Amino acid sequence: MPIGATARRDFERAIGADNVITDLAQLRSYECDGLTGYRVVPALVLLPRTAEQVAASVRVCAAHGIPFVARGAGTGLSGGALPVSDGVVISLQRLRRVLEVDPVDRRAVLEPGVTNLDITKAAAPYGLYYAPDPSSQQVCTIGGNVAENSGGAHCLKYGFTTNHVLSLEVVLGDGSVVTLGGDSAEQLGPDLRGVFVGSEGTVGIATKITVRLLRAPESVRTLLADFPSIEAAGEVVSDIVAAGIVPAAVEMMDTLAIEAAEEAVHAGYTRGVPAALVVELDGPAEECDEQFERVRAICDKHGCTRLHVAADTEERAAIWRGRKSAFAAVGRISPDYFVQDGVVPRTRLAEVLGRIADMGSAAGLRVANVFHAGDGNLHPLVLYNAAAGETERAEELSGKIAELCVELGGSLSGEHGIGTDKACSMPKMFGEVDLAVMARVRSAFDPAGLCNPGKLLPTPRLCGERPGKFRPHPLEEAGVIDRL
Amino acid sequence: MTSTDAPTTTLRPTDLAEASAALADSAGRVLIRGAGTAADWAGRPEPADLVLDTTALSGVRAHNPSDMTVEVGAGTPLGELNALLAEHGQQVALDPARVRLGATVGGLIATADSGPSALVYGTPRDLVIGATVVLADGTVARTGGHVIKNVAGYDLAKLVHGCYGTLALLAEVVLRLHPLPEASTTIRLAGSLADAARAAGQVLASPLEPVALEWSDGGLLVRLAGGAAALDARAERLVSLLGLSAVRLRPDEEADVWAEHAARVTGRASLGGPAERAPEGTAVLRVGARPSRLAGLLGELTAALGASAVTAGLATGIGTLTLPAEPDIVARAHQLVHRVGGTSVLRARPAGATAPGWGPAPSSVGLLRSVRDELDPKGRLGAGRFAPWL
Repeated sequence: MPIGATARRDFERAIGADNVITDLAQLRSYECDGLTGYRVVPALVLLPRTAEQVAASVRVCAAHGIPFVARGAGTGLSGGALPVSDGVVISLQRLRRVLEVDPVDRRAVLEPGVTNLDITKAAAPYGLYYAPDPSSQQVCTIGGNVAENSGGAHCLKYGFTTNHVLSLEVVLGDGSVVTLGGDSAEQLGPDLRGVFVGSEGTVGIATKITVRLLRAPESVRTLLADFPSIEAAGEVVSDIVAAGIVPAAVEMMDTLAIEAAEEAVHAGYTRGVPAALVVELDGPAEECDEQFERVRAICDKHGCTRLHVAADTEERAAIWRGRKSAFAAVGRISPDYFVQDGVVPRTRLAEVLGRIADMGSAAGLRVANVFHAGDGNLHPLVLYNAAAGETERAEELSGKIAELCVELGGSLSGEHGIGTDKACSMPKMFGEVDLAVMARVRSAFDPAGLCNPGKLLPTPRLCGERPGKFRPHPLEEAGVIDRL
Repeated sequence: MTSTDAPTTTLRPTDLAEASAALADSAGRVLIRGAGTAADWAGRPEPADLVLDTTALSGVRAHNPSDMTVEVGAGTPLGELNALLAEHGQQVALDPARVRLGATVGGLIATADSGPSALVYGTPRDLVIGATVVLADGTVARTGGHVIKNVAGYDLAKLVHGCYGTLALLAEVVLRLHPLPEASTTIRLAGSLADAARAAGQVLASPLEPVALEWSDGGLLVRLAGGAAALDARAERLVSLLGLSAVRLRPDEEADVWAEHAARVTGRASLGGPAERAPEGTAVLRVGARPSRLAGLLGELTAALGASAVTAGLATGIGTLTLPAEPDIVARAHQLVHRVGGTSVLRARPAGATAPGWGPAPSSVGLLRSVRDELDPKGRLGAGRFAPWL
C-alpha cells in the first residue's frame, strides 16, 4: 500500500520537502544494502538533518502506522537495512557531525552518520583511537555499527561495539526520545543500552552516540606465518591462548584465499601454502616484546615454513591489505560467491574446516576460508558460477555451513547480523520460546511493530520467500569496501 | 532480604526445571536471593510471598579451557569459581569487593557490580556471553551462546544486568574467561584525592596500561599486571613517572591495601566475613560520573554531607562513599550526583532505614516499565527494588 498524500505532507512538514525523496530513480538507490540479493524499493526516503527531525519523522510514521527502516551507509551484509515496500527509509547520512571529542575523559559524542574511521581520525590528534574496526570502516557509520554490534579484526582483545558504547540517545518506535546508558559504566537499572546495541534497527534509531576512546598502544608487532596445514596453524592459535597471551588479532587464511589475495594486491603472502596466520600483538613495549618472542617460538614449534615480521608500519599495512582484500579478491578467481559469518568454539576450527571442505566437495563447489581464528568467527566464501546454474547449490551450501556452526556449539553470525538473510535460520539456534521472549522484548520498545519489521526474528512471510542472485555491492566492486 | 512482616515460603531449586516450576506453580511476590551479600542494596524490597534462593543453582556445567569459556549455575560463588579456574591459569575477570563475602555470579550480574579491574575488563555485562533466564511465569529462555563473538538475536543477558531481581531469574550463565596474569604489582602514591586525580591523568597519558587506578585511604593505587619478565621494567617506569614519593608495595602490603579498599567499598571496617555489618546508621552510596568530575563530586559530598571512607576509580568514574543513612542526607547526595550528570544507587542500608535507593528517574524509566510489563506483567519479581520508578 503506497503512502497517502496526508502522510507525505506530514513528512514534508516535519523535515522539509527538500529532504523527502519521492522520485523512483532515486528511491532505487536505497533498494538494498550490502546483501544485494534482496531488493525492495521503499515508498519514500527521508533525509533528516538533525536528531529532532529523526524524531519528528518517526512520530509521523507512528501517527500513520507506517513502518520505517533506518539506514547508515548501507554496507551491512545481512539485509538489515532492506526497505519495506509500503514503508519509509530514514537515512542518517546527513547526521554526520562529531559533536565532541573529550581527550581527558576519553570519549567522543557522535551523530549516527559519522563513519567509523572518522572517529579515529577525530581522536588521533590526542593519541587516542576508536577500537572496533570492521573492514568497511572507511564508509560504514557508527549508527550502523551500533545496530549490528560490529566487531572487526581486533575485537578478540578489545571487544565489540557494545563494549565501547557508553550512552545512546534513542528515538523509540513511538517517536519518543530516551537516553540509554550514562557517563560511566554505572547505569540506573537494567542495561537497556546493551539490549539496543546489536538489535539491528528493530527497537529504535540511535541519534546520538557516546563512545569510549582508547590510548594508542605503545608498541605493535605483526607477523605473517606460513604453515603446512590448517591443523598446525590451529594448534598455534591454541598454544598462544594457552600461554595466556591475548593477541590484538589472529587471522587465518587458506590456500584459495591466499591465492585470491595475492592475485589482487601482491601483499607478499606465499602462494600455495595450506595456511597462513597473521598475528598482531600490542601493548606496553616490554610486555609486547616478551609475548612476541613466545609467539615466534610457538610458530616454530608447529613447523612454520616461513615467518615474516613486519619491519615498519608500511609492511604491517601490506600484511593487513592482503588479509582485508581477500574477500573482494575472490572475485578474481570466481565469477560469483556467497559469504557466511558463522562462529564455532575455537577448539573446533579444524573440525569445522574439514567438514566444510567435505561439504564443498560433495556439492562440487570450492570454498575459500578467511577467518578471525582467535574468536572462531569464520568467513567461508562459497565460490560459484551463476552462469553455469550453480546459484541454488551454492546458496544451499552456504546456508548449511551457517547451520553447521550452530550444530558445533557456535552461532549463525559473529558480526554481520541476522537481518533478512539469516532470520529463517534462527530456529536452528534458538527454541520457539526463546524467540517468543525476544519478540516480547521487541514489543516493549516498539509495541506497534513499525521499527524495521521482518528482520532478525523469523516471520512466515519472509521465510516462505527466496532471495535473488547475489551481486557484489557497488562500493565493493569499486574497491572501496570489503567484507571481512 | 527476607521481609519481616509477611509469612514467606523459601524455595531452593536445584536445577533449571525446579526453578521454572517454583515460579510457574506459585503466585504473589517473589524475592530472588543469592548469597545475600547485596540484600540491603537499592530500593527496599516489599514483603514477598516467596523467597527464591538461588544458591543450589550452582556448579560448573561446562568449562572449556582452550575456548576460555565457562558455563555455571548462577548461584555459584564467584570466589569459588575463580579458585577452580586458577588451576587452569584462567579467571572471570571481575573483582567486586563482595566477592570476598561469597557473592554469587548471578548476584553480581543482577546488581551490575564491578571492582577496580573494570578499568580494563568492564563490568559483568562485558563478560557474559550467554544466559538462561526464567520469567515470572516460569518461561525458560536462552540467549547468546558459548562463543565470545555472537550477534544472533537480542541479548537478554543485558536485561538482567542490573535488574536487582526484577524482570527475570538468572539461572545459568556462560562467561568469557581471561588468562590470569603471571604477575601483578601495585604502586602507591600518598596524597589527597585532588592530587591523585592529577597523577592519574599522567598515568593514563602514559603507555603503561594499568589494570586498576583507584584512590583509597589517602593514596593513589596503581596496579600493573602481565608477564613476570616485563613487570619490573614497567613498575620502574611507573615509579619514575609518579615521582619520588611513589612506592612499589611488597606483596603483603599490596594485599593489605586492596583489602582495605574492598572494606571501604562495602562500608565495613574490615571484611572479616558476611556477618560483619556496616557501622550502625550508615549506608554506602555507589556513584558513577565522568571520570574528570568524580574527584570534585566526591569532595563536595564529603564536605557537604559528611561522607567518609571514599574510594574513587579515577579512570572508570566509579566511586563509593559512606554516608549517614538518613533520608534527607541520602536524597541530597543523589541530587548532587545527578546535578553533574552522574548516577547513584544506595548500598548497604541498615535494616529499617527508609533512605531512598535511587535519585531522580532517568529518561528511560518509561521504557523500563514497558519491559517489565512485557516480561513480568503482574510485577511479581523484586517489587520495591526500583521504587518509586517501577
